[in-house]
Amino acid sequence: MIRFEHLGYRYPGSPSAILEDLSFDVREGEFLLVIGPSGSGKSTLLRCLNGLVPHFYGGQISGRLSVDGRDPVALGPRGMAGTVGFVLQDPEAQFVVDRVEDELAFALENQGQDPIVMRKRVEEALDQLGIAGLRQRSVNTLSGGERQRVAIAAVMTLQPRLLVLDEPTSQLDPQAAEEVLDTLVKLNEDLGLTVVLSEHRLERVVQYADRILYMPGEGRPPILGEPRAVLGQVDLTPPLITLAKALGWSPLPLTIKEGRRFVSREAGIENGGSLPAAVPSANAGSPAVEPSVVPAFAPATSAPVVSVSHLDFSYNGHLALDGVSLDVRQGEFVALMGRNGSGKTTLLKQLVGLLRPQRGEVEIVDPRSHESLNTRRAAVEEIIGVVGYVPQNPNALLFNDTVRQELDFTRRGHNLPPADDGALLDTLGLAGHAEDYPRDLSVGERQRVALASILVAEPQILLLDEPTRGLDYRQKAALAGFLKAEKARGRTIIMATHDVELVAGCADRVVLLGDGQVVVDGPARQVMGESLVFASQINKLYRDPALLTVEAVLARRARQAKGNGHRG
Amino acid sequence: MYHTWAWVAWLAAAALPAFTLQNPLYLALVLAAAWLVYTALGRSTPLGSSWGAFVRIGVFFLALSIPFNALSIHAGEIVLFRLPEAWPIVGGPITLEAIVAGAANGLSLLAILAVFAAFNAGVDHYQLLRATPAFLFQAGVVVSIAITFVPQMVLAAREIRQAQRIRGHRLRGVRDLLPLIIPLLANGLERAIQLAETMEARGFAGTQVPGPRRQALWLQLGTLAALLALLAGLFILAYYPAGGPLGGNLSGLAVAGLLALFWFQGRGVRRSRYRRPRWEGRDTALAVTSLLVAAAVAGARFLAPATLYYSPYPPAALLPAFNPWIGAALLPLVLPALLAPRMAPRNGSGNGPEQAGARSVAHDSF
Repeated sequence: MIRFEHLGYRYPGSPSAILEDLSFDVREGEFLLVIGPSGSGKSTLLRCLNGLVPHFYGGQISGRLSVDGRDPVALGPRGMAGTVGFVLQDPEAQFVVDRVEDELAFALENQGQDPIVMRKRVEEALDQLGIAGLRQRSVNTLSGGERQRVAIAAVMTLQPRLLVLDEPTSQLDPQAAEEVLDTLVKLNEDLGLTVVLSEHRLERVVQYADRILYMPGEGRPPILGEPRAVLGQVDLTPPLITLAKALGWSPLPLTIKEGRRFVSREAGIENGGSLPAAVPSANAGSPAVEPSVVPAFAPATSAPVVSVSHLDFSYNGHLALDGVSLDVRQGEFVALMGRNGSGKTTLLKQLVGLLRPQRGEVEIVDPRSHESLNTRRAAVEEIIGVVGYVPQNPNALLFNDTVRQELDFTRRGHNLPPADDGALLDTLGLAGHAEDYPRDLSVGERQRVALASILVAEPQILLLDEPTRGLDYRQKAALAGFLKAEKARGRTIIMATHDVELVAGCADRVVLLGDGQVVVDGPARQVMGESLVFASQINKLYRDPALLTVEAVLARRARQAKGNGHRG
Repeated sequence: MYHTWAWVAWLAAAALPAFTLQNPLYLALVLAAAWLVYTALGRSTPLGSSWGAFVRIGVFFLALSIPFNALSIHAGEIVLFRLPEAWPIVGGPITLEAIVAGAANGLSLLAILAVFAAFNAGVDHYQLLRATPAFLFQAGVVVSIAITFVPQMVLAAREIRQAQRIRGHRLRGVRDLLPLIIPLLANGLERAIQLAETMEARGFAGTQVPGPRRQALWLQLGTLAALLALLAGLFILAYYPAGGPLGGNLSGLAVAGLLALFWFQGRGVRRSRYRRPRWEGRDTALAVTSLLVAAAVAGARFLAPATLYYSPYPPAALLPAFNPWIGAALLPLVLPALLAPRMAPRNGSGNGPEQAGARSVAHDSF
């Protein structure tokens, strides 16, 4: 289906090649997953498949490429449109027409297709993607997952033989991402469509992929092979596989179900060969409280720095917050979780005074001066001296020519004297980028620049909205480490997120919002241990509230090993 | 939703009096009709909610046009007060007539804007674009994309404003606009590039065969020549009315030439239509009524221009006269509002598939 022969490519104006001497084949009907750190050339590789590279971007290409017997380099994206369906990251930027059905028909109309053929193809695409119910809707009223499915349907009307998707779920929340990935798996399995997908949410797709192509970047050769073989060699893996590798489980489990077999087997050995219980209760042999996972709660005696009481807020006639009451103490790390539209972002905006309560009160206390601010009366300019808010989309605030100017801008806004940013940029891993243009940086770096440009004002309370969107595992781990360090320095952190693994790794309290109300509020271990939807992979594996992360499991095993050593 | 052509007929019928009449009483009637139509149709299209913006602009110009007229036109007999004659332009008597004339001018603009806002609320833009002649097709696609983009840009602008506010940004001068405008432009540009990529990948314009280079050059030269001829013809008509039929003939020839060129260019565009909206009874009613209203206004203008004429300055009366026949002729402009309740809203928030089913797409007429 696809054949790469010594393919190389260099972007115009770039000193080094981003793709070098690539040679491999993809079989018809295969599901190929492309993974790798950002900037490693995943997107470039995918864009070669329909000729966007080099036709849209310019640059130098060498070697040969054939897709379904055609040459994308010679034909260009227009010539390949009927063979290769191409879907981008951001569903919003892909629509030409406002109405779903018209959007699907658009490409066909431009080809001058016969109306009868057109009608049939549009109906088929609507059914294949399960969006027949949306046909009359305006694309602006759709949810993220629905939009991405409409975008896929729009390319399916051209009846491609190959579907290429460039991180189609990176802008979506977990539920919407699952919706899209399930659809892709169905298209691949039911229609035999060849799918090439780049993705960083490996835990969802790794089990469906026939093969994985790992692109390490930095001039190192890519690795192609069966999922287990490739994942065994790379460190960019979901928690389940990271744990399996650490514990030497073989063959590598790709699903929780497979992983549980290893867990049961190990528990069986520990229990002296007797049949393991459904829930391997490792608690039996270990001390009731494990030092490494004690939630680091601030002393209950400290007064709350954020106190929300009976807060109501509605817009466009929709009650976004409904009687929310919440106290947060200094040094706490709170995760706000819940579905899209459950009021997380609205609550954060209330805490920083961008929105004002319609009923109830929001009080912010400056932990340094113990001065109290009521958001009904205080000006935003006063509140931001205490509270910092990093919005979901870093692009909304980056506008300066260099990272350093970006930080200086915030300082001027806060009437702070100029200062040296070296230490801050260093801890955020941006040391080499101080003079770079912020928008040229990768998603993860841009996110950190946004974070830095809020942190220069030294807010005592830090609010984060979906900080891990579009980050790979390594970048997420770095962010978690940074936030934990900030918390240790006494900063209070409130973070709205869908990212279960991030919460498991660093939050000590979880507030679950549903329909604008607080559904659950408690220690992270307890809330995540009791929930199935908001449980981390490791938590699902062990079903033990004490074990949320790979580190917790490894720490426990180290202690057990030590204990056994003493006994023996 | 009405058929696009019937709806365009209504626009023409409502815009004609709004453009040509100065009498505030008739203008008020047109304004009221537009408002009723808007309320009946509601926000069924992405730009439907732009009514408020249109009206705000209209009221702004209305408020501006009154002092402007009062200060710059010093005709009339009812003098309210005098400014020193030595002051340039504004010096002289300030008259009630000038104020009334300013209000009438502003009202005319407000009526025009209201008519377009009401049109927006009921038009299916995509159908309208599809109805454009082939040579305008590319321009039509651009407008379609803009309409899809606008609501997203509005949201993005709000997000940026909030994000910068948190960084202590305050609007104090023109320079302070940069932190708001640069991210908006940069985001817009990034989006535009992504969209261009998607459209390339979807084979957009893949079938439009460009003609030979020499032919394209001739077409461009021809268009330029025809436009120059048109300009010259209009110039002669305007400034040398005694120049005989030359001006009229030249303009006529130029227009014919342009149409021919456009037709020729349009031949190269190959496209087909997915959706052909059905022409229903109410479309006929709307189209016929609209044509009658337009004919009545145009007829009155040519046959009895005195009934339409209005000027507050002496020797005419300050207060406008009202001819009940003209008033009655304008009333049918509310027809879309009267026929509207039977229509299901097309989309918007909260409309599930049940409504989609209720108004099955008009594929029937293939």
